Amino acid sequence: MKILIIEDEKELVGVIKKFLEPEGFLCESACSFFEAEDSLSSYNYDIIILDLTLPGGNGLDLIKLIKKTNRKAGLLIVSAKNSLDDKIRGLDMGADDYITKPFHLAELNSRIKSLARRRHFDGSNELIFNEIKINTDSNEVFISGNVLDLTKKEFEILLYFIVNRNKVITRESIAEHVWGDNISYADNFDFIYSHIRNIRRKIKLNNGRNYIHNMYGLGYKFSER
Amino acid sequence: MRLLQKTNRAYFLISGTAFAVAGVVFYFVISFFFKEQLNEKLFHDIKNITKSIKKNGHLPTYYPFIEIREVPAQSERSFKIIDTLIFNEFVQREILFRQISLIRVINGKEYFIAARDTLIEEDELLEVIAIVTGSVFILLLIGLYFINRKLSLKIWQPFYNTLDELKEFSYDKPGFKLSSNSQLYEFMELNKTLEKLTQKVISDYQSLKRFTEDASHEIQTPLAVIQSKLETLMQYPGLKKEQAELINSAYVFTLRISKLTKTLLLLTKIANDQFPEKRAINLSELLDDKIKMFEDHILEKSLTLNKEVKPDCTLETNFFLTESLIINLIGNAVKHNIIGGMINIKLDKNHFEISNSGEPLPVSASKLFDRFCKADKSSDSPGLGLAIVREICRLNKWEINYIYEDNLHKVVVNF
Repeated sequence: MKILIIEDEKELVGVIKKFLEPEGFLCESACSFFEAEDSLSSYNYDIIILDLTLPGGNGLDLIKLIKKTNRKAGLLIVSAKNSLDDKIRGLDMGADDYITKPFHLAELNSRIKSLARRRHFDGSNELIFNEIKINTDSNEVFISGNVLDLTKKEFEILLYFIVNRNKVITRESIAEHVWGDNISYADNFDFIYSHIRNIRRKIKLNNGRNYIHNMYGLGYKFSER
Repeated sequence: MRLLQKTNRAYFLISGTAFAVAGVVFYFVISFFFKEQLNEKLFHDIKNITKSIKKNGHLPTYYPFIEIREVPAQSERSFKIIDTLIFNEFVQREILFRQISLIRVINGKEYFIAARDTLIEEDELLEVIAIVTGSVFILLLIGLYFINRKLSLKIWQPFYNTLDELKEFSYDKPGFKLSSNSQLYEFMELNKTLEKLTQKVISDYQSLKRFTEDASHEIQTPLAVIQSKLETLMQYPGLKKEQAELINSAYVFTLRISKLTKTLLLLTKIANDQFPEKRAINLSELLDDKIKMFEDHILEKSLTLNKEVKPDCTLETNFFLTESLIINLIGNAVKHNIIGGMINIKLDKNHFEISNSGEPLPVSASKLFDRFCKADKSSDSPGLGLAIVREICRLNKWEINYIYEDNLHKVVVNF
């Protein structure tokens, strides 16, 4: 799958590439308005990540070009402005999703994968990890074919894990993904622990293996180990 | 003290003193000139009498005004001016007279001649002068008071207009202008200076706001780089516990700054009124939705939630800001609660009320809504939540109050 990252901060482009490439994405980047224009006119991409604040022009103008040259591409807007105006205008103009800077890489990854799924680029609405299967249309989880009864939040956490498999995911990132930005009102992350405890327990009850590993104080890693 | 009072007091003091001095001077001058006049008249009388005696040998007597008698020769030729009391039969008391007396030789005979006339009595004179000056003084005061009042009100009117307009001044409303059109130099200067000052305040405030916004923007990208680099660093296999702790600590603080700049930006935007889009919002639904968002936190602290939410309370306002207000208030009620405490939420068409159990405020209630005011100085939160709430209320012209009663922290928003 081919991704175009339109972002003027080269350092950021570097880490995004580094995070996404192991996921099987082919990443290209454009660092200015003109470079972006050039790439968009010459090639086709599956997903485009667009930073709205670009040197040389307004990112919103690029959306028009994308809609002309790369109509099928999934478009994720990134903005440092966190401005509702930009968000509404961007979505109105045909962007599929919106994320504000700074973001968690895991969150970006999850958004991109969700975009990919929604567009059925990989032709499937199923995510499979060993004995665990998630149907993202029906929001159902199966362990070796048995339905796993999860609450909405538990489902979201598990999906986030599986999408970001083999990556260290921070508690903050999970909290923000599931509860939204406003989680900073929590004094601690105990409520996440209890959800994860429940997920582990339910998987174990269905004879699944525990893939959720604690990573010191950092967070979790969903992997075979 | 009002200006008018002050000037009136000054007028009273100055004119009072002036009139008192004038009265005293008046008294002395009048009595001096009166006495001079009397003396002259008496000399004149004596001259006439002498003439008459010379001519007719006749000795007119008109007691007590004229007294003439022959005296033995060689009498002492005294010339005297004295004031003397003479009994008056009509008024049955002694009256003060001025008398000029002398011994004069006319046609070979010696005569004692005295001419007298009544003197004004000093206390009477004093009384008259006091009454006259006193009443003039009072008249003057009354006149001054009214003239002053009328004139002051008229002259000072532009000043009061300016004052009224200044009371309406708000540093975040650009285009403030004084409408006062006094022709008086002082007021024109005052208004010019005030206008300059207010423009300066407004432009300073604007540039400060712009600065906050720009600074927040500029900080976001580096923060994004730091945050994502740290997240990349976390991915390295074989991290030691100590290394992970270092990364985590840097990460947590990076997130804190990022949250802070986002919040500051939001505050600036609210102050800039950058949320113009309004629509009818079902508050009851929104509130239920947000309460659900916090259900994990409520469970975590074993809080009892009492809800009295009237259904379908709608409000024409900005969705994002209203959401922000509700999240902030519920968030605070959860965060500053005690384990096993309670939260009460009430909503009807005109009020939103949220109260929670918790320790009494360590800061004064009046500072509660200030920026960076936090209960616990070591807390991770920058203390901007209630500042945002206040700004949102200010923008919507909602009234917000905080009270602590029955061991409950209660915040009431009147729409």
